Amino acid sequence: MHFLTLLFRNQLAALGAVVLGAILVAVLLTPVLPLQDPNATATPDRFLSPFAEGHLLGTDHLGRDLLSRLLHGTLLSLGVGVAAALIAGIIGSAIGIVAGYVGGRTDNIIMRGVDMLMAFPYILLALAIVAALGPGLLNALIAVAAVNIPFFARNIRGVTVGLAGREFIDAARLSGMSHTRIILTELLPNVLPVIIIAMSTTVGWMILETAGLSFLGLGSQPPQADLGSMLGEARSALITYPHVSVIPGLMIFLIVMSVNLLGDGLRDALDPRLRSGALSRPRAITLVEREDEVPAATDDLLAIQDLQTQFHVGDRIYRAVGGVSLAVRPGECLGLIGESGSGKSVTALSVMGLVSSPPGVITGGAVRFQGTDLIGARYEALRRMRGDRVAYIFQDPLSTLHPLYRVGDQLAEAIRSHHKVGHKEARERAVQLFEDVRIPNAKSRIDNYPHEMSGGMRQRVGIAMALANDPDVIIADEPTTALDVTVQAQILSLLNDLRRDRGLAILFITHDFGVVAQLCDRIAVMYAGRIVEEGPTTAVLERPAHPYTKRLIACVPELGGGRRELAAITGLPPVVNDLPPGCAFAPRCDKVRADCKHGEIALAGPGARAVRCLYPEADLQKGEETTA
Amino acid sequence: MTFSDWTRRGLLGAGALALGALSLPLSATAQTPPNVLIVGQIAEPKSLDPAAVTAVNDFRILVNMYEGLTRYKSGTLEPEPALATEWDISEDGTEYTFHLREGVTFHDGTPFDAEAVKFNFDRMLKEDHPYHDTGPFPLSFFFGAVEGTEAVDDMTVKFTLNAPYAPFLSNLAYPTGLMVSPEAIKTHGKEVGRNPVGTGPFKFVEWKSNERVVVDRFDSYWGDTAKAEAVVFRPITDANTRVAEMLAGGIDLMVEVPPTSLIQFAGDQYALHEQAGPHVWFLILNAKEGPFADKTLRQAANYAINKEAIVNDVLEGTATVAAGPTPPAFAWAYNEDLDPYPYDPEKAKALIAEAGAEGAELTFYVTEGGSGMLDPVPMGTAIQADLEAVGFDVAIETYEWNTFLGEVNPGLEGKADMAEMAWMTNDPDTLPYLGLRSDAWPDKGGFNSGYYSNPKVDELLKAARTATDQDERAKLYREMQQIVHDEAPWVFVANWKQNAVTNDRVENFDLQPSFFLHLKDVVKN
Amino acid sequence: MGGYIIKRLISAIPVLLGITIIVFLIMSLIPGDPATAILGSYATPENVAKINRDLGLDKPMVQRYFIWLFNMVQGDFGRSYSLNRPVIDEVLERFTATLVLAGTSFVLCSILGILAGVVSAARQYGWADKAITFTVLIGISVPSFFLGMMMILLFAVNLKWLPVSGMYAIYGGGDLWDLAKHLVMPALALSAVATGVIARLARSAMLEVLRLDYIRTARAKGLPERRVIMGHALRAAMVSIIPVLGIQAGFVLSGSVYIEIVFQWPGAGRMLVDAILSRDLLLVQGGVVFIAACYVLFNILVDVAQSLLDPRIKT
Repeated sequence: MHFLTLLFRNQLAALGAVVLGAILVAVLLTPVLPLQDPNATATPDRFLSPFAEGHLLGTDHLGRDLLSRLLHGTLLSLGVGVAAALIAGIIGSAIGIVAGYVGGRTDNIIMRGVDMLMAFPYILLALAIVAALGPGLLNALIAVAAVNIPFFARNIRGVTVGLAGREFIDAARLSGMSHTRIILTELLPNVLPVIIIAMSTTVGWMILETAGLSFLGLGSQPPQADLGSMLGEARSALITYPHVSVIPGLMIFLIVMSVNLLGDGLRDALDPRLRSGALSRPRAITLVEREDEVPAATDDLLAIQDLQTQFHVGDRIYRAVGGVSLAVRPGECLGLIGESGSGKSVTALSVMGLVSSPPGVITGGAVRFQGTDLIGARYEALRRMRGDRVAYIFQDPLSTLHPLYRVGDQLAEAIRSHHKVGHKEARERAVQLFEDVRIPNAKSRIDNYPHEMSGGMRQRVGIAMALANDPDVIIADEPTTALDVTVQAQILSLLNDLRRDRGLAILFITHDFGVVAQLCDRIAVMYAGRIVEEGPTTAVLERPAHPYTKRLIACVPELGGGRRELAAITGLPPVVNDLPPGCAFAPRCDKVRADCKHGEIALAGPGARAVRCLYPEADLQKGEETTA
Repeated sequence: MTFSDWTRRGLLGAGALALGALSLPLSATAQTPPNVLIVGQIAEPKSLDPAAVTAVNDFRILVNMYEGLTRYKSGTLEPEPALATEWDISEDGTEYTFHLREGVTFHDGTPFDAEAVKFNFDRMLKEDHPYHDTGPFPLSFFFGAVEGTEAVDDMTVKFTLNAPYAPFLSNLAYPTGLMVSPEAIKTHGKEVGRNPVGTGPFKFVEWKSNERVVVDRFDSYWGDTAKAEAVVFRPITDANTRVAEMLAGGIDLMVEVPPTSLIQFAGDQYALHEQAGPHVWFLILNAKEGPFADKTLRQAANYAINKEAIVNDVLEGTATVAAGPTPPAFAWAYNEDLDPYPYDPEKAKALIAEAGAEGAELTFYVTEGGSGMLDPVPMGTAIQADLEAVGFDVAIETYEWNTFLGEVNPGLEGKADMAEMAWMTNDPDTLPYLGLRSDAWPDKGGFNSGYYSNPKVDELLKAARTATDQDERAKLYREMQQIVHDEAPWVFVANWKQNAVTNDRVENFDLQPSFFLHLKDVVKN
Repeated sequence: MGGYIIKRLISAIPVLLGITIIVFLIMSLIPGDPATAILGSYATPENVAKINRDLGLDKPMVQRYFIWLFNMVQGDFGRSYSLNRPVIDEVLERFTATLVLAGTSFVLCSILGILAGVVSAARQYGWADKAITFTVLIGISVPSFFLGMMMILLFAVNLKWLPVSGMYAIYGGGDLWDLAKHLVMPALALSAVATGVIARLARSAMLEVLRLDYIRTARAKGLPERRVIMGHALRAAMVSIIPVLGIQAGFVLSGSVYIEIVFQWPGAGRMLVDAILSRDLLLVQGGVVFIAACYVLFNILVDVAQSLLDPRIKT
């Protein structure tokens, strides 16, 4: 049922299903409908127009009733199309799976054979098969199925090769499963969606192809009606009596179209990524639907004010960011910390409207750069600031750099999209930036592709790219997470130097207190889309006020601390589409009390520090006095 | 500029460009030039070497470039002098002496003489001739009776036959007997089919594969020169496309108009030409085994099939109902007293009941197309429906033409009860001689695929072939037709009326019963 | 790169050899023989035997195969008896016409298909996407010969904008403009299906790519959206589009059979169908080997293009 709901959420697929369903019903009812004999000729009544008396759709060149022939023909054509698609699909997929799974020499030989058949013009192959096997719709079916086998084989083999190298197959092998069982229970279920989609498109193609063979004079045996031969036979009268060919032509169109629409719908419903809506195209700018009033401007360099960003998936609403306020000043580094899923990255991406939309929507608050609201800005204004005034450094530089462009070109492009400089000049500037981020051999490295560089080097490219236009703010989204510890330290010190030299403001996002301590002036801790604690780095690290912060800090292994027990936080972060009232951390908190689970708990505290907790771990008032 | 702006502008731009392009005066249907006749053919010619081809489609071009010793008198199928001005036949009918026309030259300037005639026939018939390898010559058996060719003097040539052979003069007028310049054969060898040189009113200019064959007026023609400066033969295989070209003015003359398209040319700017020819469309019935071994049932089949409906409805009047094995186009040999079997399903049912063959199962071979087969699938379907209506149980098997011939020519025994067939011949001898004699059963090298056998018919055909007197022959053929009609070894279905359409810029055009296309006197304005 | 191409060319040889065997076997297995085809109604056993002798078809099959193969390796494709000329002359002449038609269609369907797919993906679920999706479906649901005939009726017979058929005007013309006018309809009709297939593929490839991290990076850099779509996204999507272009090229080439018949285009597809029907063994064999070689060569080109586009592929 869920599957069907998914399927019909796609209006076009629903249309396809309705049209195909109507055709199927009509066809299945054919035997009981009061139709005329589809083969009864009455030559004096030939070529009657549609709506002629007794013939709703008119008659063909032998005076046979077109409606009756159309319905009988559709049944036959659908049968042939489905049968041919099944035959081609099953045999072709079997060949493809075996070739892809076994690999090596077998694969090579099979694929050479497939290449041969594919290089053979398929119409000629079909023609030759029909000529060799003799006449008849069945032989046409075999021919059409046969010429499609190589396409299935090649397609499925490609998918299988991709899967055969994956861990779960290795695991199955190690567990001692037989090859047949691996193919049937592990590979097949994963390949099946591809096969089904390929088959659904092939059904239409098969009907067209039998029509084509009929055009070449190799169709079914008269007087039998199938759509292809109806079209083929009517073709000779096309100029004078077009309706006789248009009617079967239209039916072919309807079938092929509805089958294709439905096939698309099936693919969407079967593909797990599509199911979550993830295959929707992200727009150039996040959708904004603000209803509340926009907070007033401040004089911070970058201020995030009561930002609310949600993900709308189907009927569900995920409040990824539920009213976050942050600000950075020039030269300052603010650390935003939290577990995965706490909303810190979404907060960061919301700044420049980079949250994927759909499904992301900014529903409230403001982001102000030097007082100007970026959330309500027009695309072009925002684009001009992206990378120029506010730049990003992302987490995994292998996936965030374009694999097909040389790194130097990607850098030069960043410059050229904001400044009118020549290629040469941009390139020189890129070399300079490479040197700034301490990439050795900058001149030759600039012509590398991302996959030719190490992780650390790639991250330096990412940083260089962020620096390209000398921005005022850099938003670094876990820039060191994917790197090993030594490289991480180098990158952090690099960022630190840059901040001091250039007076950059950095919004540094991480889940790691160790990293924060090295770089940030202030930190803000996020949990379930909200800030739960903020304050100067040392103050927070030394005397965390929120139980969550405290537990997070406890997770950090201390260098030289020996084999201290890492206190993992039990439980999982809450799902943000169904937040409990009161404190979001309450279900995992070991100090929870009854009133923690009611009402809104404010983020409050003296001076630079604040916490969202009724029973903080430390007395902030006192702390402020001592550190002040 | 955002992407959406950009796409919108792009689409607008593309749209504007497309509209602009379409509104340009394309003048695609440029008038064809005056004095150049453009003919829509049904297919690409196989070759322009008359000895090498078998298709009427090719003959239509050839007869304008080549001539033979004889030709068919306009409007008939009777031979008259062409490159030979007169001839003598020996008493026993085995020696033919031809006196050649003076002052005839080939297009390449070489003279036409007795040696040229001898060269042409020897090339085709003598395996040791130096240019015999320029073949194969599929229809050389038309002259199978010729034992030797002799140049008596420059302008006299003598053929010696191994037995009297009445159709010889008529066969000489057939394209297989057209004269090719010996020099051209010597120069081009096998390629002579692409470099044709004859004596006809038009000379070859160019042949672009599947595009056109162009011929120009031959100014040194021995007779009246052609009226048109040039003729272009365009192969247009698809009948719809051919009709569309005719409607759009891309061709001036089109042959073999599909019956359903005739109505398109009803207007004043077109003229429809029709001409019955030596064609007969029939069903071979398997007289050796199965239901049709019984004469009563063969007659029943003839009564059961509504031939009027086939020629008038399926073929839209482009054919007439056939009465017997000889088409009326052979006026001198046709038996006027024969009437077609009437459409009488009741009588057919009675005959079937009489033979106790109700519900007999029949296998019916139908072809998808083929030379002279008209609309074989719809015709076969209509026939099947008629036979079902009188109580036969008919299963159609369709074959593409060459497979079909491969199935039918070796005989229907053990495979089928009936098969479609059509013949176009140049002499009343050919079809019955090859298709109805006992000695023409497939195992004896003939085309009597239905195994009909009647000693009287065998005798009549043999006598007619050796008789040199036309009246005598005519009498024998008429008697043969009566017997065959009554014994019904075939279902006689149709005699095709060949048709053609010309537009109003073409004058003086006539179709010939031979189905050839003589364009010498045609005027194009 | 040079070594890679040579390696690919060498690996194509067994494929081509396999094709020679397949086509030879198929042509030998088809019932009916060339002599019957030549003689038509006059095919008596005696005449058939004589013609078979003339054509060298009386030799054993294996021997005929090797004679054919060795002659072909030396550049002699034999003689077509249905056309009475050397196979290679006919194939080259006709294949040029096919290349003009199929080449134009291929370029057309590639450009139109990719463009439609890109626009469709960029405007996902918008009116442009729906319009394109629908048009594309029409393209892949209508038999090309039917589409071609309808175009003739509309644009040539009724509106008289374009010539009905052929490649050049029969009289006059012969220039590029003339060719272009004759090419419009057949090229459009031929590319309809492939355009649809490519557009659908390009759309999903683009959607797949557009959600990747490096597209976000490109946007975060402040690249204009046009450059994001037509540069970064399209380039990455091309990696999955190009192999399909290779397959579609095969379909366009094969599909030209119908179009060549409808538009009387003097190409090789039509020639091969006629050759099969008239059992012109050498012409079929030579023509198929020639087309297959072109297809194989084209696919090597596709792979080379792919490796040029994607530096991660090791050549």
